[in-house]
Order: sequence, then structure tokens, then C-alpha cells
Amino acid sequence: MRLPPFEYYQPATLAEALAILSEVPGARAVAGGTDLLVNMKHRVEQPPALVSLSRVSGLAGVRTEDGATVIGGGTTLKQVQHDEGLRAKFPALTQAAAVVGSYRHQTMGTLAGNLCQNTRCRFFNQSVEWRSVRALCYKAGGDYCHVMNKADVCFCTYHGDTAAALLVLEAEVRVEGPGGARQIPFAALHSREGKTPLALGAAELVTAVVIPDGSASNGAATGGSTYLKHALRGAIDFPIVGAAVWRGGDTMRVAFTGVDRSPIRAAILEEALAGRTPSADLIAEVSPLAPKGATITRSTLQPGSFKRELMSALFARAAGSLL
Amino acid sequence: MGAKRILTLNVNGDDYEVVCAPNTTLLEALREKAFLTGTKRGCDLGACGACTVIVDGEAILSCITLAVEAEGRAIRTIEGISDGGDLSPLQQSFVDHGALQCGFCSPGFIMSATELLEEDPHPERAEIQRRLAGNLCRCTGYVKIVEAVEAVAQGAEGGAR
Repeated sequence: MRLPPFEYYQPATLAEALAILSEVPGARAVAGGTDLLVNMKHRVEQPPALVSLSRVSGLAGVRTEDGATVIGGGTTLKQVQHDEGLRAKFPALTQAAAVVGSYRHQTMGTLAGNLCQNTRCRFFNQSVEWRSVRALCYKAGGDYCHVMNKADVCFCTYHGDTAAALLVLEAEVRVEGPGGARQIPFAALHSREGKTPLALGAAELVTAVVIPDGSASNGAATGGSTYLKHALRGAIDFPIVGAAVWRGGDTMRVAFTGVDRSPIRAAILEEALAGRTPSADLIAEVSPLAPKGATITRSTLQPGSFKRELMSALFARAAGSLL
Repeated sequence: MGAKRILTLNVNGDDYEVVCAPNTTLLEALREKAFLTGTKRGCDLGACGACTVIVDGEAILSCITLAVEAEGRAIRTIEGISDGGDLSPLQQSFVDHGALQCGFCSPGFIMSATELLEEDPHPERAEIQRRLAGNLCRCTGYVKIVEAVEAVAQGAEGGAR
């Protein structure tokens, strides 16, 4: 399967990369390429130009700034999972990085790339031949959503692993563009629109993720975080459901991936947990609330009822491991 | 669109000058330009691991890596693993354990396992399984393959090389 033709730029600095992205219409940034290049082979994304970030210096690495942990967007998922400091403080993130695709996706893929991956659907992530038997779906350039049987909507689902972990760690995202740099809450990165999943400008890049020290694990008795993924085949498939749970004292935060157009915090579940000391009984009592608030559609082969049960089960297992 | 350019790819210590468009993948450059056909094209979508090569010490999927991205880096393919006619201990272990039938997936497995053993000469069985999990074999199943790598890891075959 050949890639479609495109112009290729290989800038050495971030400023150069941002300039090309804002000057060349339709240009897309590519880091590891494990998501974008596959979509390009399927012809569901055909950017006229790619701007490689692989030779841009200063995008990778983990450092501390004013007590917060800053992870460069270009840090590979392998580097994230092997960083001793991250493993000790933010196990949900390193566990999530360790289950993205296969090991080779982790050597190639970057943290920012994992966060900015495209949303997925069983009608979208398919070959040209597979898709040719139906009208083009809305996200691929047509006007009809085969999942919803409606025009002009898209319920493609977000399946990134690390995003759920960063949601419960209450991370922030550093974004740089032609207008300068800004830092936004993690929840503001994704738009909850299937067709345009990122709430970023065309020439904006995620350059770093900032995790506050308050989210660090502080001993097994009172706090910690974990991420659990359920997929058909561990090393190949995206999560059917991924669940991240963070605990600090009596407070629990819960997030899911694979169940909506963006990664989501389980607000209704967290409300039911608020102010109560976590225990096995409490977890069993509230776990049926895990799917509340998620807009689950048939964008994957698994029925919604299965995903809802998985959400409750994964939450119970993850939260139980933090007791 | 996307003018062709001359790339110098360093494969197994030798420089290959190849003419590639930007949309040429590393796998296509290796097989069709450098005529190193040991690296296999399986799914061509990064799922099966048949195209695994080692770039700057890391196992990567050459079917979803652009050839231009590999310029200036040290690329190792299955052709560079054996020393002339002599198989590497890992390759020999695959033969001894019957860890291959049709052989199509073997270059990918050997490259993945070689990278693992160079990073950690004595991995646990669970780590071997995790690192090989993205390589698909449709003939043998995986038990013999894991046993072949484990034998080298336990020193019975004397290291990856």
C-alpha cells in the first residue's frame, strides 16, 4: 500500500516548524507517524504536506519546573515508561504508555502524538476498497455518518491510552503556535467533535505536558494512580475501553478512553465517590455509575452494553488496586 | 508534488544511495531500491511486525517509517545479523527449536529479539513475550519462538551475536 504523494519538510527548530505549518496550506505535523501514516495509506487523511518533527531539537525529555513535572511532547512512549521518576510519581501514565500498540509503536510514537491521534470508527479506519461499497462517511469527506444514520455528524471515538491517565493526573498541555505559547487544562485539548477531535489551530503543536506535583503518588496507603486497558489483542488493537483512576486520600478521580469522541472524566461517578472513604463496598456500590455521561456509539464492533459493563468492571478493578 | 531526492541510507554499515520520493517508506527503499528483500512486507500498516528493522538501536516498523526519516541513522536489517554464512546464536536457536515454518515472519522476530537481547541480555519470559507481542506468526504458534529466544537469554546459545 503506497502512501499518497506529499511535500515534505524537515525543520531543525520549533520556530521553523511552526512557520511552515502556518504558511503551507493543509500542512500537517508528523512525529512517530504510527497513526497518521496508516490513515494516509487508507486515504482517509491526505495532507498535501508533512512537517517532520523528528529533527526538531528540544522537544523530548522529562524535567522539573517549579515543582511540576514537564514532559516534552517529542518524548517517545518508551522513554515515558522507562523514566524512573515518572514511574514512581505517575504510574497511571507510565502504565498507559506501556500498553500503546506494540513495543515498536512505543519506540516510534511520541507522547504528544499519542494525545493528538485521530479519532477512530469502524467505517473510517478502513481501506479504500472496504469503504468503496458505501458512500463516503462524513469524516472522510462525505456527508453521512453510517454509525448514526444521519447527515453531517461524526461520532468517531477517541482511543488514546495516555490521555485518560493525564486526565486523572489533572495535567496541563503546553501549546505553541504562530501566536505564541499557551498552557491549557488537559480537558481543553480535545473538542468532543468526532470530525475535528483537537481543539487546536492548524499551525499549533503540543510541545509539552505539565503534571502538577499534587498528582504524584504519595504512598500506597493514601494515594496513587493506575491505568487498565481492555483490547481484543493486546499488542495490536486500540483499547475497547481504557480506565484511569487516581486516588489522593479520600478523593478519587476517574477517566475513560474509547467511550466517547474525546477522553472523558467520569463526573457522575466522581460525584458519588466524593467525601466518602474509598472501600471495596463503596466501589461495588458506585461502579454501575461508571458509564453515566459517556456517549457510546457503535463506532467499534463491540456493542454499547458491553462497553458499559467494561467501564464498570475496569473502574472497580483499577480503584480496588488503590485501596 | 514531493520531488524525489537522493538519500544516503546506512544499512548494516554500508552506505546505499537511493532515489526516493518523500512518500517512499523505509521498507520500500530497502526492498525496492537497495534490493535488501530480507525485510518482509506483511500487513503494511504497522500491525504485523514482519517489517521490523533496527534504527539507531531501536526496533521500529519500516512500513510506517519514511525513508527520508532514516537518513543519517544506523539501519540494521536481517541481512546484517548473520556473519557471512554463519548464523547468529539467535538465528541458530530458531533453527534448533523449530521456531519457524514458512519463514516469512522470521526476519521480523529475529530483529525484535536481537534488539531485546542487546538491550537486556537476560530478559524474563514475560518480557520476551511482551516485546515480541507485535510480531505475528501464522504457522508455528509462539511457544517455540519464545523458547528459542529464552534459550539465548539463558546463555545456552552464547548471546545474541
